Amino acid sequence: MADTLRSETWPIGRRAIASWEITSVMVSCLVAEWTVTALSGGSKVLMAIPVGFALALMLVSHVSYGETLKDLGFRLDNFLPACRLLLLPTVVVIAGILLTGWFLRGGMPAVSLLRPRLTLVPLWALFQQYALQGYLNRRAQIALGPGWTSVALVGILFSLVHFPNLFLCFLTLLGGLIWAFAYQRQPNLFALAISHTVASISIAVAIPLPYINGLRVGFKYFG
Amino acid sequence: MKIPPARLIQVMIGKALLETIFVAALALGFRATAFPPTFHGWGEIDTSQRAVAGWAVDSANPWSRVEVQLVVDDQLVATQVASLSRPDVAKAGWSRDEWHGYAFKLPSLKQGTHEAKVFAIHQSADRYTMQLLGAPVPFSVNGDGVVTGSPVRSR
Repeated sequence: MADTLRSETWPIGRRAIASWEITSVMVSCLVAEWTVTALSGGSKVLMAIPVGFALALMLVSHVSYGETLKDLGFRLDNFLPACRLLLLPTVVVIAGILLTGWFLRGGMPAVSLLRPRLTLVPLWALFQQYALQGYLNRRAQIALGPGWTSVALVGILFSLVHFPNLFLCFLTLLGGLIWAFAYQRQPNLFALAISHTVASISIAVAIPLPYINGLRVGFKYFG
Repeated sequence: MKIPPARLIQVMIGKALLETIFVAALALGFRATAFPPTFHGWGEIDTSQRAVAGWAVDSANPWSRVEVQLVVDDQLVATQVASLSRPDVAKAGWSRDEWHGYAFKLPSLKQGTHEAKVFAIHQSADRYTMQLLGAPVPFSVNGDGVVTGSPVRSR
């Protein structure tokens, strides 16, 4: 953890503020996923508004805490240790996904399933890891302290935004726990994004679409 | 620390307020586009024809024909476009032309009391919504299959 998060200059209500921040950002995500999608028919412009609110809060919060990009995990000095930490759990999870896909599909997926849009997954994964670890995990550590409670909270929050897609909820809970655990030891968002990308592509390619409902989450799950 | 914690709290309060206003505006916008208060209609039991007959107008698009659905006892019976001649509707000022009437033949029903509802179908963006025209129309079917009912008020 960065020293900025251990600063004793913060007022008494620091844990409460961090909890409030977590709640506020989660509310924005859920408003975008559920309310905007339901009421606007999925307008991307309208969906960007609560996401923009959340990003603005995150930015102000980083400045408030005096956090630098390096503090957040945009760094290369611990890239290899972070990769080493993530290698085994990522390989195990991907093997599990491929085996599950093999079982459900009755064979290996066709290469044609590697759609062009999957090329955007690394950027999306980096953004998600920034929000999940660079922000929520750090605030969870302030609210609950480093360790399993904050790791569990991050996993649950990541799973919650994938509701009601139960298959994804399970996988993201697992992924969220692994990545949050790894981040608390080696905060490197690039390594986490690689792990996230490989896992996401494995799910998209290996698991038949009906089981993951086209990776739809929130209100869009029903559409 | 470049921004004091008090400012962060102010930002969070401001965000909560803006988000609340945004969701409220979204809900009002949804209400206005999905359920516009521009549909008017009338329905009654036509005992001689054994039908539910009436008219439907969208005052926002007075030249368009409204698609209507008949639901009896909460079961969908039929869908049609209200385009039958109703000169009385135009004469009363509800529409610009007379082609806004509908008539649904009633299906075979058990003896007893029933309820018919006529809905205007409205498309906004990629969703369809249904608006009840007037009030539900109660009617009865006797042992010989004869239908009796009462008219409802227009809206």
